[in-house]
Amino acid sequence: MRASILAILAYTAAGLTLAAAALTPFLLIGAFSAGVAHAGLHIDPAYSGGTVARILARPGYNITVYQPVRPHLLQRVDPFVQVAFSPTGSLPARVSDEVDLDGDGQPDVRISFRVPGDPHARPQGEVVALNDRYRSFSMPGRYSFSQLLVRSGDAIVVRVPLNKAR
Amino acid sequence: MTTVTDNSSLPHYTARSMAIHSLSAFAGEALALGLATGPVCLASCGPVVLPWMLVQPRGLRTHSTQLSLFLAARLAGYLLFAAAVWTAGSAIPHAWVGRSWLLGGTQLLLAGALFVYAAGFPHPRCARSASAAPLVHIGDSPHPRRSGAATLGFLTGINLCPPFLVAGVRAALLATLPSALIYFAFFFIGTSVWFAPFLSLSVVRRTPSLVTVARMVAVLLACWYGVSGALILMEKVVYG
Amino acid sequence: MASRSSAVLHPRVFRSVGRSLLLTLPMALWSLLMFTPSLRQSRRDVTIGSAIVIAFMTTLFYLMVRTGNTYRWRRCFFVALGFLFPIGFISALIAVRGTMSIPIERMVSGDTPFCFMVTPMLVIPAAFTRTIIFPGSILPTSSNPHSIAVMIGLWLAMTLVLGKAWCSYGCFFGGIEEGFAAVRKRAKIRRTVDKFAPRLRLIPWALLIVVVALSAALMEPIYCMWLCPFKTVTEYPAVHSVETAIQMGIFIVLFAGLVVVLPYLTKKRTQCAFFCPFGAFQSIFNKINPFEIRIDREKCVDCTLCQTTCPTMALSKESIREGKTLMNCMKCGACVDSCNKDAAVWHLKGTRVGLHPERARLLFLYGAWAMATMFGGSILANSLATMIRFLPKIHSMLLK
Repeated sequence: MRASILAILAYTAAGLTLAAAALTPFLLIGAFSAGVAHAGLHIDPAYSGGTVARILARPGYNITVYQPVRPHLLQRVDPFVQVAFSPTGSLPARVSDEVDLDGDGQPDVRISFRVPGDPHARPQGEVVALNDRYRSFSMPGRYSFSQLLVRSGDAIVVRVPLNKAR
Repeated sequence: MTTVTDNSSLPHYTARSMAIHSLSAFAGEALALGLATGPVCLASCGPVVLPWMLVQPRGLRTHSTQLSLFLAARLAGYLLFAAAVWTAGSAIPHAWVGRSWLLGGTQLLLAGALFVYAAGFPHPRCARSASAAPLVHIGDSPHPRRSGAATLGFLTGINLCPPFLVAGVRAALLATLPSALIYFAFFFIGTSVWFAPFLSLSVVRRTPSLVTVARMVAVLLACWYGVSGALILMEKVVYG
Repeated sequence: MASRSSAVLHPRVFRSVGRSLLLTLPMALWSLLMFTPSLRQSRRDVTIGSAIVIAFMTTLFYLMVRTGNTYRWRRCFFVALGFLFPIGFISALIAVRGTMSIPIERMVSGDTPFCFMVTPMLVIPAAFTRTIIFPGSILPTSSNPHSIAVMIGLWLAMTLVLGKAWCSYGCFFGGIEEGFAAVRKRAKIRRTVDKFAPRLRLIPWALLIVVVALSAALMEPIYCMWLCPFKTVTEYPAVHSVETAIQMGIFIVLFAGLVVVLPYLTKKRTQCAFFCPFGAFQSIFNKINPFEIRIDREKCVDCTLCQTTCPTMALSKESIREGKTLMNCMKCGACVDSCNKDAAVWHLKGTRVGLHPERARLLFLYGAWAMATMFGGSILANSLATMIRFLPKIHSMLLK
């Protein structure tokens, strides 16, 4: 009796597995993907740059300033603020802007770079910190998630490292 | 015109009561900081504690002793660092030029200690288990090793993990050395609460596979700390 | 001993052609269904690639049904997948980026295609901080269709059907080493592997624990950044520092050692058996899968031929005595096909061992091959289309 019940259960499980296989491309992948998409997950700000704090309008282009990213205590990425200049098509050949990163009305950094004509070429330029909360750097140099000057999609993305000693 | 203030309704502070208030305030702050940063401490020290506890014989008493030794040695590391920080003055954690040397060196030492204790040689028990089942499993520990827990605890204590640095900054600003030591001691208590769940490992059944996996984990972690420490030192040499 | 080393197949009674065709029909229809959108496309390379894959997968299934052998025909598909996947993938990378390396700007844009290997490392950070520690995008974008949600959805669905058999029917990396393992007729190194196997096969578990713990602590996918041998034939972070140079060196050494040299010398899938943490993670799902391979103790003569032929060392003397395979069995069928006494059998959990093993095999194969056709088949078709597209270019380059 027990053996036959177990056998029935076993064949039911096998049938369900086959049904799952048949439904995988039509139903299961979509359902599971939707589940993951709606789980309230987000990409680590060290990669994505975090959330937008404000958008500063400039003639012909915008500067999007992001919230400062302060990584997890053991994370090997230094804290930074992301700034994006877009759209690249409207940017002048050479950009030089003083940007207020923390919203206190005072400029914090001067960001200057050349926009290369070749979409695959990396922009060259420098970031000069106007106070000791941020660190200066120039590119090409040492690229890291907290120190960047690159083209990403339709924007020039700059990541300004925060001064850790503060 | 002279203003006369009546202080009779205010509590009367003596030097002693003010000292007690001040002590309880910063002890509370240290405890809160320890509790708040405990998960990070757990993430930092957990990978070392977990395999170590798993290779120890089963039993709550053994595990309590081992964990206490680990934590006591960690406290010793903390206090030593607190004394050094206070003596050297403020701003050590981030601006101190020797930080990379200490961090890299400690990680290499930790790698060495983990490797020696995890691989189990040249301890005789390794030879015994290996002779019983040649090279099949590294063997569990019939007797708990106190020196291992103490060494690993001390090395993780001075490993300059970020919560530790946060506490270090605060301790360096305190007026006296005893205050810095008390601050670190309370910080230690706060973080140690997070280690209590490791005692549950004392009831996990020890199979040869489990013990072997735990030792392999320790060896792999030793490799990780070794590479990480070497990279820190290499970067220090290359980039200054 | 010599007969052991070369004995992979044991002749069986063939099924009749008519019956075999009838049993293959559902799979043929499934293949057509899967590739109908590709066949309708106006691009000739895609249509040709898809048509070849339909014929290939259906023929292999027919041969499995007709001959009663699983391992040999599955291996044809798996090795083709292993070797064609990098071709299609690298070609696509070079067409889009001009390089195999991932520049940091692509990571910042969330354009890194998601790989299943990352899955176990995501669990703890996602559960506790709702953070995905991978530089991809959660939803598909025009520049990154292999988004995290889609790929995890696909993996979950396939794992439900396959369990650990993912490593034999789904993984697009395992075929590379299976290919190298198939080159030699006999293993050059056997005794050493046998001697160390009981300890070595625990390494994936240790590695799984370490990469999951370190990834959670450091909030970065440690395995992908430091240990994945297959970065060598897919994509890798651009080398721009001492650290990235060391990482690249590790990838190459692991690939050469575990995926090329050792499989060639041992005839085992050494990376899968002794290294892959994702394989260990996948083993957990074997517990919820109704299919398994068992040893019928009434027929077994303890010749250990099954143990010798198992490409992932998923059998030991102790497990054979207990009539079971180890947890890392990936249901490739090598042991069943090699057993002269028909003691190694396909089995449906809950039924008596040795009762209707062929029925259990067919039930398993329908599900597994359906997944292989849907997933691996589409990769094969894509790679073939890429090759067809590039053939005239390569031809003209050679002529020059």
